[in-house]
Amino acid sequence: MCAAHVPTRISNVLIMNRRHFIKQSSLASSLIFVPNFMRAFEQISPQHLGYKRLVMIQLSGGNDGLNTIVPFNDDAYYNSRPKIAIAKTDVLKMTDDLGFHSSLLPLKRLYDDGNLSVINNVGYPNPNRSHFRSTAIWQTASAADEYLQTGWIGRYLDAYGTSPHNAIEIDDSLSLALKGETNNGIATKNPNVLFRTSNDPYFKNILAHQNDTHLSEHNLGYLYKTMIDAQSSAKYIFEKNKTATNAVEYPQNAFANQLKTAARLINSGMETRVFYTSLGGFDTHANQVNSQKRLLSMYAEGIEAMVKDLKSQGSFNDTLIVTFSEFGRRVKQNAANGTDHGAASNVFIIGNQLKQQGFYNDLASLSDLDPNGDLKYTVDFRAIYATVLNKWLEVGKQNIINPSFENLNFI
Amino acid sequence: MERRDIQHLYARAGFGASKPLLDASVSMKKKAIVDHLFETSEAIIPLEIDLSAFTNLSNQDLKNKALIRELRKKSRGELQTFNHRWMERLHTSEGVFREKMTLFWANHFVCQDNNIVYAQAYNNTLRTHALGNFREFVKAISKEAAMLRYLNTKQNRKAKPNENFARELMELFTLGVGQYSEKDIKESARAFTGYNHDLKGDFKFREFQHDAGEKVFFGKTGNFNGDDIINIILEQKECAHFICGRIYRYFVNDNVNNKHVEALTEVFYKDYNIENLMRHLFMADWFYEENNIGSKIKSPVEFLVGLQQLVPFTFDKTKDLIKIQKLLGQVLLYPPNVAGWKGGKNWIDSNTLMLRLKSPSIILANTHISIQEKGEFEDSFDKFYSESKKKQFIKATIAWEVFDKTFDGVSYDELQSYIILPKISGGTQSYLTSLNQNSQRNFCVQLMSLPEYQMC
Repeated sequence: MCAAHVPTRISNVLIMNRRHFIKQSSLASSLIFVPNFMRAFEQISPQHLGYKRLVMIQLSGGNDGLNTIVPFNDDAYYNSRPKIAIAKTDVLKMTDDLGFHSSLLPLKRLYDDGNLSVINNVGYPNPNRSHFRSTAIWQTASAADEYLQTGWIGRYLDAYGTSPHNAIEIDDSLSLALKGETNNGIATKNPNVLFRTSNDPYFKNILAHQNDTHLSEHNLGYLYKTMIDAQSSAKYIFEKNKTATNAVEYPQNAFANQLKTAARLINSGMETRVFYTSLGGFDTHANQVNSQKRLLSMYAEGIEAMVKDLKSQGSFNDTLIVTFSEFGRRVKQNAANGTDHGAASNVFIIGNQLKQQGFYNDLASLSDLDPNGDLKYTVDFRAIYATVLNKWLEVGKQNIINPSFENLNFI
Repeated sequence: MERRDIQHLYARAGFGASKPLLDASVSMKKKAIVDHLFETSEAIIPLEIDLSAFTNLSNQDLKNKALIRELRKKSRGELQTFNHRWMERLHTSEGVFREKMTLFWANHFVCQDNNIVYAQAYNNTLRTHALGNFREFVKAISKEAAMLRYLNTKQNRKAKPNENFARELMELFTLGVGQYSEKDIKESARAFTGYNHDLKGDFKFREFQHDAGEKVFFGKTGNFNGDDIINIILEQKECAHFICGRIYRYFVNDNVNNKHVEALTEVFYKDYNIENLMRHLFMADWFYEENNIGSKIKSPVEFLVGLQQLVPFTFDKTKDLIKIQKLLGQVLLYPPNVAGWKGGKNWIDSNTLMLRLKSPSIILANTHISIQEKGEFEDSFDKFYSESKKKQFIKATIAWEVFDKTFDGVSYDELQSYIILPKISGGTQSYLTSLNQNSQRNFCVQLMSLPEYQMC
């Protein structure tokens, strides 16, 4: 465990937060909940935030990358998966060697439009095959033998965030990814519900009766501050959400609903840099063919609707969608017509500003596997994060990602 | 002893003091009260659920792959049952201090195992040594099946050492980061080679996998085994200091007072007797200083058990308990990683705080909540998207009559002083006073919905 590059404290961030929040949120009515000492910063001009947005999607459970991006000319692939391999005739052929699962037809359209980059063999050294641990590694951007207690988005918020709604998880609770040392994102599946919750008359009255003295207190002050932030952000999200619309129909499922909410908030022009979503159910140990087929359809159709929605409202140029899974699956199928936990897998980058459209790199060899029979990684996921931070969110990666990871060239 | 001091003691050594206990102790001297705390926690009562389905397996059964798969699934369910029983134990146990210590050690010697047999044994080892001798404790932990699995000691062999346990032993369990060299890790890993366990979970030392060669560790040279390494670690005063720092942050204050930790270290280093250390802590005048009272943010478990202490209730369904633990950010038996829960402010974000403030009314008034927990990784497609996931309320059986009887005739001001430990902010206090109170129950829920109630 070596946490040397992780920030312990970022001074002045909170002050910046408040100043920026007050200036930018234009919530005159919420000011009654904001204590006086915070109002003092109103006059200071806000830093420019920019409006590039990142949407992170976790395919939770470990998506089988090899049946997603299929090496349809590789005998090793078919030999390892006699019962579950995708037949060559069913594959949407993209290159001479690689094709998409047929459920990914909507994604093929994005590919053809130059809006998709597929990075193969993404992983990290000494891969961990536990969902919990590997998810934590991806969310905290740690090494396999390093235990971080803040998420990479959380550390981004520590350094550059101004209020919880700068990073929104479209869910009911917040993942480690969005928890920083001093700042956190906020989770909401439904801005109206979040607003109702935060707008409880009892809480409102408690905050309305607050004076400044409490907020300087150590832990209790932190609770009051969090309450104020929560209420302000909930109100901000609610009001922004109200002003925006979705321009296209989305499929009827929970995942599409997440994307719909995210797209709507993006289209509202709100100050959120990161949206975090997930699609679960990929832990296909048994009878994987049908369930993965349904999940990938759900994924691809949802994405297509979102991209259309963003395009039609002019916000696709400023949106980057990154899809990952905590690990891929074993090359060899198991006896239950499924696959067990593996290691490296593919990451999808979707956007309008891609430097390298199509396949970013070749698929790793299926005959040179690690001792567990899993794909060897060739791209470290933290290099993708570093690139996104540097080239997309346009911030330094110091204190967020281990600086030893060089930027990649996909954007 | 002042009533508030006793409340403080029990907020830290347990999950809050009941009114009868406070009424009985308030005329007693500090020593008698602390003695009573320790006496009631003397007995070691293991927490056990029926695991016969896992332990009565024939060799034939073990070859049955379908059965093993089935048991693996069942084990995950039993872990939730164990979680539920553990929560019940926390709010009903006579030996509440031992239970609080067990909870502390569970977040110190952090370990996670999906096998309920090993997880239960591990949990009871924590309970057994919770107030015992730290030296014996560390040695026992190093030999527990769950730990041998969690930190890969069982893969640590002479031919191919695995340093995972050796590293965390020093970094997280005994010395703290930076108090040892990489060479110390390599050498001590060799000493733990050959550690293994049998199917039942009993420790087995595999002589032929053990590296019996000479090791150099902290400047000493010898054919050390694992126990020797632990003895050498404990010779370092830094070990006592590290543990006392952890104890201080958990039981006293997030902000460490070095003088106080030094004082504890002197006591602990003598014999590594945990009971003596804790007795010294609770007898120290500084423990009762105003800046320590009501200054800590409750963990989700402290929060939930605290509610139950005031208004006894049980979750009708284990699932609901797990759900609320998940949403609040602390599922017992599922620590986030080997470093454990960070605690303090880290428990709190916009969502967890709002849920905490709402929880008393959600649980005690059976108000519906419109939030869902995150799905399990292991869910199948159908389970993941099933309707049952969408049902959104928490059902509890509540013994309000116990609360009514306990606080019969108690004024609202008095009630507040029983429920809230820190000083309530002026604004909030005047708001509370402005409300027309007509029911103790309502007032209790109001108090429990304050930020101040999150503090202990």
